[in-house]
Amino acid sequence: MTDASRSPEPMIRLESLTKRYPGQAVPAVDGITLDIPKGEIVVLVGPSGCGKTTVLKMINRLIEPTSGRVLIGGEDVTRADADELRRHIGYVIQQIGLFPHMTVAENVGMVPKLLHWEKQRIAARVDELLELVGLDPAEYRDRYPKELSGGQRQRVGVARALGADPPVMLMDEPFGAIDPITRDRLQNEFLRIQADVRKTIVFVTHDIDEAIKMGDRIAILREQSHIAQYDTPEAILTAPADGFVEDFIGAGAALKRLNLTRVREVPLDHWPAASVHEDRARLRRLLAESEQGSLLLLDEEDRPLRWVTARDLAREREPLHRVGLPATAVVEPHATLHDALDEMVTSTVGCAIVVDRRGRYQGVVDLGTVTSAIDEMRSDVRRRDRAVAEAEAAPGDAVGEVG
Amino acid sequence: MTAPTVDRGGDVAGAGDALAAEELVEELGGPSPLWRWVGTPVVLAGVCAALYVYVQGQDLDRIEEAALNAPMIRQRVLEHLELTAVSTFFVIVIAVPLGMLVTRPATRRLAPAVLAVANVGQSIPSIGILVLLAVVVGIGFEQAITALVLYAVLPVLRNTMVGLDQVDRSLIEAGRGMGMTARQVLLRIELPLAVPVMLAGIRTALVINVGTAALATFIGAGGLGWIINQGNIHDRTPVLVTGSVLTAVVALALDWIAGIVEDLLRPKGT
Ligand SMILES: Nc1ncnc2c1ncn2[C@@H]1O[C@H](COP(=O)(O)OP(=O)(O)OP(=O)(O)O)[C@@H](O)[C@H]1O
Ligand SMILES: [Mg+2]
Repeated sequence: MTDASRSPEPMIRLESLTKRYPGQAVPAVDGITLDIPKGEIVVLVGPSGCGKTTVLKMINRLIEPTSGRVLIGGEDVTRADADELRRHIGYVIQQIGLFPHMTVAENVGMVPKLLHWEKQRIAARVDELLELVGLDPAEYRDRYPKELSGGQRQRVGVARALGADPPVMLMDEPFGAIDPITRDRLQNEFLRIQADVRKTIVFVTHDIDEAIKMGDRIAILREQSHIAQYDTPEAILTAPADGFVEDFIGAGAALKRLNLTRVREVPLDHWPAASVHEDRARLRRLLAESEQGSLLLLDEEDRPLRWVTARDLAREREPLHRVGLPATAVVEPHATLHDALDEMVTSTVGCAIVVDRRGRYQGVVDLGTVTSAIDEMRSDVRRRDRAVAEAEAAPGDAVGEVG
Repeated sequence: MTAPTVDRGGDVAGAGDALAAEELVEELGGPSPLWRWVGTPVVLAGVCAALYVYVQGQDLDRIEEAALNAPMIRQRVLEHLELTAVSTFFVIVIAVPLGMLVTRPATRRLAPAVLAVANVGQSIPSIGILVLLAVVVGIGFEQAITALVLYAVLPVLRNTMVGLDQVDRSLIEAGRGMGMTARQVLLRIELPLAVPVMLAGIRTALVINVGTAALATFIGAGGLGWIINQGNIHDRTPVLVTGSVLTAVVALALDWIAGIVEDLLRPKGT
């Protein structure tokens, strides 16, 4: 595995960045050096008060560093015009901070307006962004923030940060103040958006699970923003650098690794599926030929509709779209195996249906898929451990380490 | 509430009273803006009509006629309105920028001192300021305005500061974080969101000024206080009543207008 911190051209480079607040004995951030590759999400994670927010705000200079440099795209921004700089860096804060006296459109269009875009261009951009974050522009454009749910506000906050299409986004616990279910959905949506927009994102959280889910790389920080480990989530989960990282990851690292494999990365199984408009004789034949006990019916647009068994098919008087059981436990390709496992546990047939972004049936994931994914990870770890052990054994110096 | 209508004849007056009282309750911050907007002028017109009927029913002597004739009353009302308007204008022009200034991060430490000075202005009784000014700089309109302004700066200043301070810090951070200048944040976020609190302060100043302007007559600046004073020194009840009632009506009318302005200027979405 290549060293994660040495990729060719970092979008953001922090060089011995230090912040000492007046009247405090120790610096809040003590000389952090970090390269953030272009187009990736780098998560800063660490215990409360370790300086994550301070690091983030030094990047857009809401806080002026005591010493050190910030380079964005190779340019030192510590001396740039701070206001102009910030218009080209998206910023999402935990409190969201939507302006209550402005409509959704005014909020989202604020940065373009600051950049003196034309009215029509702003309006078009606002609609585009609202679409992107899954809010119908016609319905939400003219609403005020208090007329939105927490999750909707968070989406508007993200849309606003994307306002002028900044190459860099800073996100400070953006999904912190939301219930777990909505948070999970927003995280997934955000990853989907990121797959399209490919921003360079610095993402702060104190939740290691969120870090594992969102990060292309994770920097685990200890006090004063000293980096305990900076690596991919896989590497951190597989080989924590020290006891601090181990403690921080907590128990259940194996299960957490399920969060790292996405459904699109595993081979899908194929379940017998057919259109709800097929004639029953054909459906029965299809079911008989397969080794499964049920058949997945799809609608005109290939979207999963019902699970039906041979007995359901025999009920000739009932229309097909009413027999059997509704097709639940549906996941999209970007869902993690952990999500899929979750769904399949509640599914009647013991598998999760995979659909594409339009909701069209792609295949299924079952427990077998998950088990083999776990097996594979385990053997990866073993291979890596063996390599490390061999490397240590080779020099022959007997360090009395307890294994 | 209307009493059970067993005895119809006896209940009519009672029901009417109850209704008037209900209107007054609505006046004092009732829920429906319609009532607040329509109720006050109706009540005030009624009061004026009653006053007119009362004065007409009196047999006025020469002293009373000298005070209670249409041109004289119009002049005193206009003087009163002018005192109030000009002083409130200066209060706003002084206190709002000052309040903005002492809530900026760089000048925030001035806030306690400025507030203390404004507090002194208000804690001296208004008549005291008036007399003091008369002794020091003489009598007249400008002295009266100075006194009124000194007296009413505090509520506007304090409310401007409170109004700006209560704006959620995270909004300011969001604004700065997206590249708004400090000035843009002030003008587009802080001020609009502070408007309701600031207007409440201005409304208070207005009411204070209307009341205090009644004292301006003592330093020769006229106003409705003149009518009251005439009634007082000549011991003429109709004159005294007319002056007092008109002062109250003008005060309530201005407060009513201020209330409507408050309703109209409240930022949408909050
Ligand atoms: N304006 C300030 N003045 C003085 N000290 C500060 C200031 N802001 C933060 N600190 C201190 O700096 C340290 C780092 O704060 P920071 O907000 O960056 O932590 P954090 O990692 O974001 O914590 P959390 O997870 O709780 O948000 C803390 O000890 C905090 O008390
Ligand atoms: Mg923080």
